[in-house]
Amino acid sequence: MKFTSRPTAAALGVALAAAVLTGCTETAAGGGAAGGGEAAAACDPADVQLVGQVRNESNPYEASWLDGGDAFAEQVGLTQERLTYDGDSTRQQEQISQLLAGDTECLVLNVLPNGDSDTPPIVEGAQAAGAYLVTQWNKPADLDVTEYDHWLSHITYDGVASGKQIGDALAEAIGGSGGIVALQGILDTGAAKDRFAGLEESLAANPDVELLDDQTANFSRAEALEVTKTLLTKHGDDIKGIWAANDDMALGALEALQQAGRDDVAVVGIDAVPDALTAIEDGTMTATVSSDGPWQGGIGLAIGYCVATGELAAEDIADEDRAWFAEQFLIRQDNVADFVSPETSAEDFACDNLFSRSQGAIS
Amino acid sequence: MTSPAEADTEVVPPARRPRPRRGVSLRDAGPPIALVVLFGVFAALSPGFRTVSNVQNVLDAAAVLAVVACGISFVLMTGSIDLSAPGIMGASAITVALLVANNRNDNDLGLVGIVVAVGLAAALGCLSGLALVLLKVPSFMATLGVSAVGLGVATLLFAGVQPNVTDPLLEGWAVERFAGLAHLTWIALACVLVAWAVQRYTRLGRYAFAIGGAEEVLALSGVRVAPYKVAVFTLAGAFYGLAGVMVTSQLGAGLVQAGKGYDFAAITAAVVGGTLLTGGRGGILHSTVGVLLVTVLTNGLVQVGVSPYWQGGVQGLIVVAAVAAAVIPQRRRNQVTK
Repeated sequence: MKFTSRPTAAALGVALAAAVLTGCTETAAGGGAAGGGEAAAACDPADVQLVGQVRNESNPYEASWLDGGDAFAEQVGLTQERLTYDGDSTRQQEQISQLLAGDTECLVLNVLPNGDSDTPPIVEGAQAAGAYLVTQWNKPADLDVTEYDHWLSHITYDGVASGKQIGDALAEAIGGSGGIVALQGILDTGAAKDRFAGLEESLAANPDVELLDDQTANFSRAEALEVTKTLLTKHGDDIKGIWAANDDMALGALEALQQAGRDDVAVVGIDAVPDALTAIEDGTMTATVSSDGPWQGGIGLAIGYCVATGELAAEDIADEDRAWFAEQFLIRQDNVADFVSPETSAEDFACDNLFSRSQGAIS
Repeated sequence: MTSPAEADTEVVPPARRPRPRRGVSLRDAGPPIALVVLFGVFAALSPGFRTVSNVQNVLDAAAVLAVVACGISFVLMTGSIDLSAPGIMGASAITVALLVANNRNDNDLGLVGIVVAVGLAAALGCLSGLALVLLKVPSFMATLGVSAVGLGVATLLFAGVQPNVTDPLLEGWAVERFAGLAHLTWIALACVLVAWAVQRYTRLGRYAFAIGGAEEVLALSGVRVAPYKVAVFTLAGAFYGLAGVMVTSQLGAGLVQAGKGYDFAAITAAVVGGTLLTGGRGGILHSTVGVLLVTVLTNGLVQVGVSPYWQGGVQGLIVVAAVAAAVIPQRRRNQVTK
């Protein structure tokens, strides 16, 4: 693409320059610190450079992830470099290659790849540069972590389990029988498919709960609002519960219920975003599931830090801990207070306790 | 007509544009017919669709898109394109959420906050227009850039914590009803009427058409086109701003993504309604019909019970069919669209 128009280039340039400048200064500062010690096998803890990378900070979940990374960094007396790529795969790769072009000896990366296909180049890059990498959520199924010695671990969550957890919570909330509708996520994503499969499992276990309709609202609050309004006019009082594949859609559904003057419908979601927790506290929403964002932000750095400083040898990590499902938590009114201001605990990130939340290897 | 002097005087005032009546009726009939047919088909297929409450629901659901479409129609009339809606709506949504009573700060400006948000949106629209006429940036790129600027402003203001609105006025817009329709729907109706009046009775509206039809002719006849172009983009920005405020009212929270997807949804609605991307044809009422068509389609497919896995594709096919139906009468008049 050719930018012949100066103002457009300028408009885009300002945004890019801001991002790049921040990146540069922080990298330079980190690189300078890392240049000091040169232990052959292990890094001096003070030389470890911690980087957390997520899509954007305007998403409360991903912001809390980076906060968790900061909490871990503080715990070991370091600072985390916070990177965001605005859900742009190209920008993510550019940030990674910029990092890997610097001093990578003691570099620890905790990365949320934009999509499955973004993971292989990051992994190859980190492997070649010798940086310690932990990825979360997205990885192609056939990419095997054990074939790499610098890609330490891949952490994800069992969507089938969370879909079933909230399905069961919903069934319980409506007294075990009645009609529900489902709001699915973006249909061609693994998360949407798994979560809906979990709902189907839950429906099989609760035969008196009837799925009246399932529609997609693409994980979007605004779309969920419109779809729910339509479903409410279509099914009326038959709807006793709404199952949403994420909290944003659950919150959209709650708005629709409020606008329709309905307060007799139970709503469940997944992700534990702050507004959903507030709604659960108020009693307008029934349940959500938390993956514990701050823990995710800390654990990836902790694994890399432990290996980089030699406290944990990469080859000592069991195969089942190289790609694993982490524990997720069902949140209801009785335990919501524990999750409203989530805090990381130092012992979760201790080098001998890194894999305590494992629910098993990814099959 | 034969006297040259008379012909000259006819060229000078561009107010009364020659508009062949028969052609207009023929050309404009397509989309409304498609709307009626679509409505009829869904009503026949689904008892749920033909209820009064669902018709209210369709009208309520069309409100925001209708306001966005009002703005975009003016730009399309001039033959430009406008992709700035997502950014401008996001900026306005966050701004209004932070200025009325909310959970982030102690502001409680009420209506003033809404006016400020719409004003900011108009300023962003103006920026697109200025980039277009002063710096000769194509509207496609200028508005894309302004959208990025709007999203940037919104992200800065957002600062990691979502502002939830507690303002009774703004909340009431979405919840309270008058004559069966939400206040938002009446606001949208008012927008359509105002936009139509601007298009029909003001110089701005007529010049917007003329710019799209034959900008050179207008310029050659001594009209300074540039200010009108900037005015069109500013007006469009104001409409997007109001739409952003409306989304905030509906969702009860200011979202950076408040306007996500509205750019192409509105362009689709405008084109389905018979507003041409080449400019000079269509208008507010056309686009409004298009908005209703698109909304009826979305609602109807759910009511009829089409599987969500099929809906995207089916929707696309029906939209293409509707545009084709709208274009056929034009083809008869040899007005082939590019």
